Amino acid sequence: MAKRLMSVEELNKFKAVAQKKLDERAKKIQVKVHLGTCGIAGGAKFVQEAFVKEVAARKLSNVIITEAACIGPCEREPVVTVIHPQKGRVIYCNLTPEQVPTIVEKHLIKSEPVTEWLLDLESPTFKLQHIRIMHNQDIDPMSIEEYIARDGYQALAKALTQMKPDDVISEVTKAGLRGRGGAGFPTGTKWSFVRRAVGDEKFVVCNGDEGDPGAYMNRAVLEGNPHSILEGMAIGAYAIGNVRRGYAYIRAEYPLAIETFNHALEQAREYGLLGKNILGTDFEFDLTVFPGAGAFVCGEETALLASIEGKRGNPRQRPPFPANKGLLDKPTTLNNVESWSNIPLIIHHGADWWGSAGSEQCKGTKTFCLVGKINNSGLIEVPLSTPLGQIIFDIGGGIPGGKKFKAIQIGGPSGGCIPIGHLNTPVDYEAVTKLGAIMGSGGLIVMDENNCMVDVAKFFLQFTRDEACGKCTPCRAGIPKMLEILSKITQGKGSMEDLAVLSELAEMVGSASLCGLGQTAPNPVLSTLRHFHAEYEAHIIDKHCPAAVCQPLFKAPCQHTCPVELDCPGYVSLIKEGKYADAYKLIRQRLPFPMSVGRVCDHPCEVKCRRAQVDESVSIRDLKRMAADYAYEHGIEFVPPMKPRRPERVAIVGAGPAGLTAAYELVREGYNVTVFESLPVAGGMMAVAIPEYRLPKKILQAEIDNILKLGVELKLNTKVNDIDSLFKEGYKAVFISCGAHKGDKMGISGEDVEGVFDAIEYLRELNLGKKPRIGKKVAVVGGGNSAIDAARDSLRQGAEEVHILYRRERRDMPAIDEEIEAAENEGIHVDCLTAPTKVLSQGGKVTGLECIRMELKGFDSSGRRTPQPVKGSEYTIAVDTVIEAIGQRPDTSFIKDGVKIAKGGTITADPRTLATDQPGVFAGGDAVTGPKTVIWAVSAGQRAATSINRYLQGKPLSPFVERDGYEPIEIPSIAPTEEEVKERARMHPTELDTKERKSSFKEVVLAFRPAEGREEASRCLRCDLEVGGEE
Amino acid sequence: MAEAETKQPVSTAGGKSSAAEIFRQVQAEIEKNRGQAGALIPVLQKAQALIGYLPQHVMLAISRDMKVPLSTIYGVTTFYSFFTMVPRGKHVVSICMGTSCYVRGGERILNTLEKELGIEPGSTTKDGTFSLEMVRCLGCCGLAPVVSIGEKVNRRMTPTKMKEVLSSYA
Repeated sequence: MAKRLMSVEELNKFKAVAQKKLDERAKKIQVKVHLGTCGIAGGAKFVQEAFVKEVAARKLSNVIITEAACIGPCEREPVVTVIHPQKGRVIYCNLTPEQVPTIVEKHLIKSEPVTEWLLDLESPTFKLQHIRIMHNQDIDPMSIEEYIARDGYQALAKALTQMKPDDVISEVTKAGLRGRGGAGFPTGTKWSFVRRAVGDEKFVVCNGDEGDPGAYMNRAVLEGNPHSILEGMAIGAYAIGNVRRGYAYIRAEYPLAIETFNHALEQAREYGLLGKNILGTDFEFDLTVFPGAGAFVCGEETALLASIEGKRGNPRQRPPFPANKGLLDKPTTLNNVESWSNIPLIIHHGADWWGSAGSEQCKGTKTFCLVGKINNSGLIEVPLSTPLGQIIFDIGGGIPGGKKFKAIQIGGPSGGCIPIGHLNTPVDYEAVTKLGAIMGSGGLIVMDENNCMVDVAKFFLQFTRDEACGKCTPCRAGIPKMLEILSKITQGKGSMEDLAVLSELAEMVGSASLCGLGQTAPNPVLSTLRHFHAEYEAHIIDKHCPAAVCQPLFKAPCQHTCPVELDCPGYVSLIKEGKYADAYKLIRQRLPFPMSVGRVCDHPCEVKCRRAQVDESVSIRDLKRMAADYAYEHGIEFVPPMKPRRPERVAIVGAGPAGLTAAYELVREGYNVTVFESLPVAGGMMAVAIPEYRLPKKILQAEIDNILKLGVELKLNTKVNDIDSLFKEGYKAVFISCGAHKGDKMGISGEDVEGVFDAIEYLRELNLGKKPRIGKKVAVVGGGNSAIDAARDSLRQGAEEVHILYRRERRDMPAIDEEIEAAENEGIHVDCLTAPTKVLSQGGKVTGLECIRMELKGFDSSGRRTPQPVKGSEYTIAVDTVIEAIGQRPDTSFIKDGVKIAKGGTITADPRTLATDQPGVFAGGDAVTGPKTVIWAVSAGQRAATSINRYLQGKPLSPFVERDGYEPIEIPSIAPTEEEVKERARMHPTELDTKERKSSFKEVVLAFRPAEGREEASRCLRCDLEVGGEE
Repeated sequence: MAEAETKQPVSTAGGKSSAAEIFRQVQAEIEKNRGQAGALIPVLQKAQALIGYLPQHVMLAISRDMKVPLSTIYGVTTFYSFFTMVPRGKHVVSICMGTSCYVRGGERILNTLEKELGIEPGSTTKDGTFSLEMVRCLGCCGLAPVVSIGEKVNRRMTPTKMKEVLSSYA
């Protein structure tokens, strides 16, 4: 039976005894099973049972199994800490009961930890955290003894016996603690208001109504370290004066937290740490838990107080503020769980120590809930002002599945989204507010390229609409109105005027609502409008959801993401049925280069493939190739419908994929089309940059011939010198699709000697049948597709050692991943974080390359880390050939005036209609966008054809590509069977043996064989058959 | 919310406690809180814990005993999402609609549940086997998207996995 601790001496005596017990225990092996809510949900109780059973069966008397709360790595639950007296402390993660006997056998008996199941405590995830609030969470939350042994209640003792109430307040003020519930109001100041308020009865209240969806750090403290909150509240009660009673309002969704906290209260009462004459002084204080009943608005202080009074949780007008008129109209301080939990640390260690973490304006640490599309989701604690990028990429380990980070939502439904360009932002009250978000209680929700920001705004508004109390009109009527507009937009029925109304409504709801809920509810809308305006426009103007989320806008995500909207589920299902010819015809309705694109596409479709949620995406590109190759080999013809001839002539400058596609579409519309090409071959980069082993010339030529035979005139070796002369010659419209064939220079000394090549020139010469004379040791500088192509080509030309030098990390390389892998398989070295500084030469010939190591610091506007040279890290590599592949731009010397050229050398054109400033002149493809892949050029060609057709017929330009007149092809509407959706690896086509690759330019990747193709096609989930999930 | 509820008996039908016993326990809770500000919510929570929902006659009894107008009780009951005035099915399927679950595809899981069970959130299947509920955040964001059925939390759901889980209850 516990004994009341009637003085500080008794507390210290008790502490000494408790400490000794812990020391005794430390001589044994301790197994701590972390039983937070996530842990239990993850199966931790079964793991605990397994340990108990196994340890009992083995009769291990030197092992103690205890319980502890959550320590953060939620993604890897169940988590178990093992503390071995000799081997130290390790943490097992992702445990199943089946693994337990092995751990008992190896670690507990033979003292050899099973290293492959451990969390890496040396990784940045743990090293960059600063654990204060969460530090006691590996103690047993049910044991007051353990808390006291770890300096628990020392702060209360110090406050009661050594400090005056005013001293306590000034210490908290000096520390600079700001409200951890999100608003960041200085806690000391708040307390001094309540202390000064008139009243013989005052209250302290703990706000544990952690309602933000996606935030549960307060729960972890409530479940893991309840005594720290309790002690903080007792200290606050003492400092404010006239407080005899406090309330902890904990949301009902946290049953374990309520249970744990109530248990802590009982213990504290038993030991005399709550009640009358605490620690023998005349200070009296007790505390009650009030379980909330599920209402988000109760996080608002006046609503919360109303709820404790047993009423509906309606907020009320302030002032009067709760500091003067709070619970039962008495002066009340209301602080967040984490704020209370910080108080004992400030009092025990002093304000100076406490303020040593964080920044000048925002001191201390903060717990965050890092969730969403992030590798290490869970709870973290970091100093305030830690840069956002560090939290996401170092601590959080980046985005799963190699997807691209898009935005982070800070502050829940009251907060906002911060986009990729702001990763250097320090996470603190001011910086986050400046960007349109709020700190909130600390939920950080990471979103990737597959999250639609309009839908995100809609999601949060739905939430606030459901949770609004209904008392004030702006919030009650305004939010549903905003939601209505957002729903319209996500269904493709919105207009640009709607956006203006939406912003206006948002401003109104924000400024006129009664309480914090309504005032902040528009934040997700305002911040997405601010940072993701283009995405709203895409929904409205293009009826396109870039993330492929807004179901009413599309049939299937793959198709919606494809720049030419190829019917992927259609042809994949035809392949599954063995109808290869039909599949080919379906593809040809939208794509004139199926064999080529089927080989070289960077397949954006596969990035959005939902099969990846089961195992891996469907091999859509290779299936397309299979159907196209089949048609080629079996002589299956596709004859597109042709419209009657028209008199107008159209000139196209450049016979790349953009130009040829435009020619194809325009000739079908009946125009007379001439394509001018300065090179001796057609195909653009497909012909002169992409190597033979990726795209055989014969294949490409067959596809070009299909276009020419419709009546397109092609003039090779013909350079256009100026646009106006084309009009003089009688052409009525011009499409500039000259590509980006000029390589950028590195701009370092010595690059003008023999043996330095420009990658694009090198690839071109090789593709045109010349043999550029390269040496035996080659360095390729750059990380794009040209760099990889040049490196692999040089290997085939006989180079013995090839290095690709890239200044960032491998994952940042813009080249297609499969190609980088293929290069490595062929023995090419990819050297990252290095940049050349000087080309070394002798007698005018390259002898080496001086390089400098790079390190990554901060983030640039594209969200990638900025490489910075490491001082004094220069080194040289001996090479006889250097190939520069750092960027390309178009050669626009033939453009005199009328058409605008952007700063980077690209042509300026409307991104939707491709119209330039000169009437009748359109531009698209790499010449406008800079280097991109073939499918984007094809899409540009189609847009150009639509625009030119409309222009010549005097119709307004429209961004929509319309193709009609095709024979309908019946697509099987059979959903996959249960067997087919079961986890099954993606099929990979056969590849040429690496040895054989080096000695020839033979095609490396082969087509699927029919059986393989049908098997792979059966992995398609047929998202197109799902009924659109409208609201 | 779901986790709290599902630990408690869902329905009195076939349960161990008789109606009289339930009234006795609710009354005890009223006595415990009598005279204190804010007594109503804990009493309603207790009543719901015992019965599984708040039938009208129980609310009426509480109103009389506590001398709180029935309209106030109705106001409180309908305000907080924790309270329900309709009985629930044998298995309460709670889909988390928290942000993390949403970001990781919760919406598609909800569509699957609606399709498979043939009911909308807030209702119960005709045979009384399943109730479907949307809950705000179960706080298992690391395991998102999550769907709890009774006390069991099912982690990282996909439409396919969801169907498999449901069929194991059928």
